[in-house]
Amino acid sequence: MNGAYRAEADALDAQILSVIRARRAENFDELALRIFAHQLRYNKPYAHYCGRLGVTLDAMPESWDRIPPVPAAAFKEAELCTFDPAQAELVFRTSGTTAGSSGTHYMENAQLYDAALLAGFYDRFLVEPSRPLRYLLFVPNPAENADSSLGYMMKRVAEHYGDGAPAWYVEGATIAFDRFVHDVRGLQAARAPVFLGATAFALVQLLEALRARDLDRFELPAGSFIMETGGFKGRTRNVDRAELYGALEQTFAVPQSSIVSEYGMTELSSQYYGAPFDVARRPSIPQGGSIPHHDNPIPHHDNPIPHHDNSIPHHDKKKVAPPWLRSYAVDIDGKKLPDGVIGALVHVDLANRSSCVAVQTEDLGAVVEDGIVLIGRERGAELRGCSLDAESLRVASR
Amino acid sequence: MTALAALPARSIVRAIADAAARWSDADFPARVRATQRVAERTGYSVPVVEYAFDRLFFSITQDALTATIEDELGGLEILDEFMPRQGRTEAWAQPAGNVCVISSRTTIGVGLPAAIFALCAKCDVLVKDREDSLIAAFFETLVDENEGFRSAARAEAWSSNDNEIPDLRSFDAVVAFGRDETLELIRSALKPEARFVALGSRASAGYITREALSDRPAAKAIARGAARDLVLYETEGCLSLHVLFAENGGHVSVTEFSTLLEQEIETANVEFPRGTAGNDQSARVAQARALAAFRSATSIPAPTVETPQFLPRVLGAIPVDNPAQALDYLQRHGVPLEGFAIAGNRDDVTALALAAGAVRLSAFGELQHPPLHGNHGGRPRIADFVKWIDKTF
Repeated sequence: MNGAYRAEADALDAQILSVIRARRAENFDELALRIFAHQLRYNKPYAHYCGRLGVTLDAMPESWDRIPPVPAAAFKEAELCTFDPAQAELVFRTSGTTAGSSGTHYMENAQLYDAALLAGFYDRFLVEPSRPLRYLLFVPNPAENADSSLGYMMKRVAEHYGDGAPAWYVEGATIAFDRFVHDVRGLQAARAPVFLGATAFALVQLLEALRARDLDRFELPAGSFIMETGGFKGRTRNVDRAELYGALEQTFAVPQSSIVSEYGMTELSSQYYGAPFDVARRPSIPQGGSIPHHDNPIPHHDNPIPHHDNSIPHHDKKKVAPPWLRSYAVDIDGKKLPDGVIGALVHVDLANRSSCVAVQTEDLGAVVEDGIVLIGRERGAELRGCSLDAESLRVASR
Repeated sequence: MTALAALPARSIVRAIADAAARWSDADFPARVRATQRVAERTGYSVPVVEYAFDRLFFSITQDALTATIEDELGGLEILDEFMPRQGRTEAWAQPAGNVCVISSRTTIGVGLPAAIFALCAKCDVLVKDREDSLIAAFFETLVDENEGFRSAARAEAWSSNDNEIPDLRSFDAVVAFGRDETLELIRSALKPEARFVALGSRASAGYITREALSDRPAAKAIARGAARDLVLYETEGCLSLHVLFAENGGHVSVTEFSTLLEQEIETANVEFPRGTAGNDQSARVAQARALAAFRSATSIPAPTVETPQFLPRVLGAIPVDNPAQALDYLQRHGVPLEGFAIAGNRDDVTALALAAGAVRLSAFGELQHPPLHGNHGGRPRIADFVKWIDKTF
């Protein structure tokens, strides 16, 4: 890589780090466009894609929300980075996919990722360095699965904010429930608060495992947190998140204000977290807007679900981002939608300096005044009549 | 004795054809009303519904009905009386009895041809109609043509938990469209001797040989046809183009063809505007389209391992070296086929279509236009609705 690249990359990284440390991004627009220009120069596949859409260094977008987002699925097909991927300090791969291949996110250095991660985490959990928590983790252990961004993320926060003795309970295809029970009993005796980090699916399994051991009530020490992440993607069953949080509160005696959902992607460097503590907080949504009721089917901007009380019934749906991560929703043609209208989420993450600053997801959501409301993944295509029941086919062909 | 038993088959055919002719007029009041209702029910745009109505009703002519019946039964009069048959005994094709057509979850008017041929066989017909009452509206026109249809042709809407679900054991023949589990449920509710025409979920595929990709105009014409086969009815029909293979080695590369296809899909989207159908999959569609554009821009072909997506108006050409690779893909992903569009006349491609289970082979652009006499699902049109009486003395 030539000196001009290095100088430009280092300068951008310094500016992004400055934004992260200050938690302020008044220059978000300008910085996003500079990062994008850098990627047009050095990220060839992304530049080709943007060129096809008519966006080049000579025809730059006017603002951050006009930067062509790369489809997240493209990470499965091309090395989307500004540098030689063999030199990447961090390499994360998505989990199994219907396409049979995994997406790979190459990051040139760990510094940006770590800074974004730790700052965002600190701000959400108001970590008290004087009283580090014990991290009890039901996510992939980086020692076994170095490609997992979730595993790396939890490893780093545990190293930084934990008590130095994180416990990992996912062992290959099994989960060490008995060891968890043993560990928690020890922590209960010591009254040492914990940070329980797990995918939603693992939490469901954990609750079932505790019930099977007649541990319907298994209190975590006061001051503990639970972080839920990952949803149920690719799983054969689903549970209502409100129901899950209720069960977690009941079982672990952790108030729902201390149960936080995290929303991140392998293709991003930064994370969204559930809205802070104010459970009853109501987001600002225009009257007649399109945020659905919790139990309603998936709505769409052309067919909005009328909402009755102008509120989001459960706090876990609302997500807030750090200042260096912004999002908007797009319609079926990729056109930006007004705030409050549901569509496919596009994230613009300044910490993605060495890959793609704008990423288009398959996740449905809407932008609200100070964050996003995440609706989740759409159900699979289902054809009618004498045609194919596509979702069944997809399941059968996996 | 069925309601139409005494009516000559030729009169039945004429009445049906005359009713269809009235529905072929875009200004026919009943059609105008139905157009809006069907558009609301399906989520298709009005131009798509109009196109579907044209294709459906223009095809129902006296000649087409007569030719189909003569081809399958040997003549029209054999529905009215004993008739001699070449090399066989005299016979009378009498109505099978009560026929039920369960057409829930169908696209536009899929159950109508089955109902029409059951009526031609002089059966009493009950159609499970959709909320748009399209079949009921057509039956009203039939009654206008001939009062005899009033008790012969009924269309009702009912839901699965409705107390007014008819007792399926009262039917002698049942035609049903739907998922396998739905079809199994219906089958289990029939009397043992009832005929059951089960039309399960199906998809369609296409194959473009390298010879067909000989030059850009030829490739563009194929792309235009494929785009039309894709976008009509929001890719929801069994004859919609869901999977497309293009052979490597043509003068026009698969990547170049994909770009042409993308352009032609945009053109077809103008001719047949998108309605609201598929909105519930907008994020997946947007992702798939963006990915197709990415592949095109970076000359990355669609991977052959990718599972078919079955998303509305989304299609990528899968590069293959030969038909065997296409067959492997279809079998690996368990795609049950109805139609197969072919560009390039080669025996090994026809063999592929047959091996994959397709029952209708066509050119691109014609996939969604089955003729009235076409054997939907590989089945006869009228033979399922008659009971043969042989006269051996």
